[in-house]
Amino acid sequence: MAKKLMKGNEALAAAAIAAGATHFFGYPITPQSELIEYMAREMPKAGGCFLQAESEVAASYMVYGAGGAGARVITSTSSPGLALKQEGLTYMVAAQIPAVVINVSRGGPGLGNILPQQSDYFMCTRGGGNGDYYHPCFAPASVQECADLVTEAFDIADKYRMPVLILADGLIGQMMEPVEIKEATEKPIDKPWAADGGHVKRGEHNRINAMILPADGLEELNHVIQAKLKDYSENYVRYEAIDVEDADIVLVAYGTPSRACKNVLKKAKEEGLKFGLIRPISLYPFPKEAFDKINPNCKAIISVEQSCGQMIEDIRLSVLGKFPIKFFGRTGGNPIIPDAVYSYAKEVLGGKA
Amino acid sequence: MAKAKLTFDTEKCKGCELCVTFCPKKILVLDSETNAKGYYPVTVTDIDECIACGTCAIMCPDSIITVEKE
Repeated sequence: MAKKLMKGNEALAAAAIAAGATHFFGYPITPQSELIEYMAREMPKAGGCFLQAESEVAASYMVYGAGGAGARVITSTSSPGLALKQEGLTYMVAAQIPAVVINVSRGGPGLGNILPQQSDYFMCTRGGGNGDYYHPCFAPASVQECADLVTEAFDIADKYRMPVLILADGLIGQMMEPVEIKEATEKPIDKPWAADGGHVKRGEHNRINAMILPADGLEELNHVIQAKLKDYSENYVRYEAIDVEDADIVLVAYGTPSRACKNVLKKAKEEGLKFGLIRPISLYPFPKEAFDKINPNCKAIISVEQSCGQMIEDIRLSVLGKFPIKFFGRTGGNPIIPDAVYSYAKEVLGGKA
Repeated sequence: MAKAKLTFDTEKCKGCELCVTFCPKKILVLDSETNAKGYYPVTVTDIDECIACGTCAIMCPDSIITVEKE
């Protein structure tokens, strides 16, 4: 397929349909509305089901139902909407239902505002619902990456029977870039566990259930979930590391701020300073091994986030005290400006911050 | 007498302010009322100052600005 100029939101939707998604359930919210609009327009043409739910909670249980019946299903929302969907997400983890969930994040807390922000890091990477679980979480930094990660997210969801989350900030959702929507590489796998009426012999039942009352039964399910997460974490760590081996300052940023940081690196190089960048693409699992590559004489690591500092905790756990960790962030929907990051980084380098 | 007529497709505006930043006459601002999506869309303060250069329309990533020479 040739390249097209698309918004991030549209690319996420187009890639989902190309990946064979047959069901979409959601509730509109800025700044992801173009996604649901695209689905409303295109999903029926592709022979799939588009349904606008009465609320985010309802949408997440429609996903639970369709996923449980074996469909490739997707839902999308923005920050406050994802908070509402958390109940459905933890139920999907328990019932082992594959689904793709997209969060085009906006300002918070509360209803916040509709401008881009990254303050959903904890909600998206820690398992925002009740119970012992995490789920895969990817953070694209370009419109093309949005499309590519959606394609892969469906395969991961089916393989591990888990919801997979894509965390794109509002800026990527609204930004237009050339994008190539690739056709699905892997064929959707057979789902012998699905409650679709077609996989069992007479007298047997496939059950989709999120409640296991016997203690031993629930413990066994927890072990199954943890084993899946362990296998997943060993195979799907993604990151981009630039010039970290001889850097005096390493910036860490995901999503849109990572693009500002790339400009900071360019400027530092022009002025003869050694800056590096680690851009996590998978936020869960966090790319801990990227930090092992950092120059042992590095002066400091700076977490650059459009929030009050959440990823900084994962950086601390990855670095384990080897380097001082600093933070640069904007909030309220204000963007990260390269010049501001650069002058802060120079202050850190000079021991002033 | 205005040199140009500006038309904004305000429902598609996301208030990114690229046009506001690049307008050479500094006559574009964000409106005080939101559109249906909740963004503050662009509007013009003094159309008589407009020189119909078309920079705003070129900068707009969503192509919501139409500039017509009078």
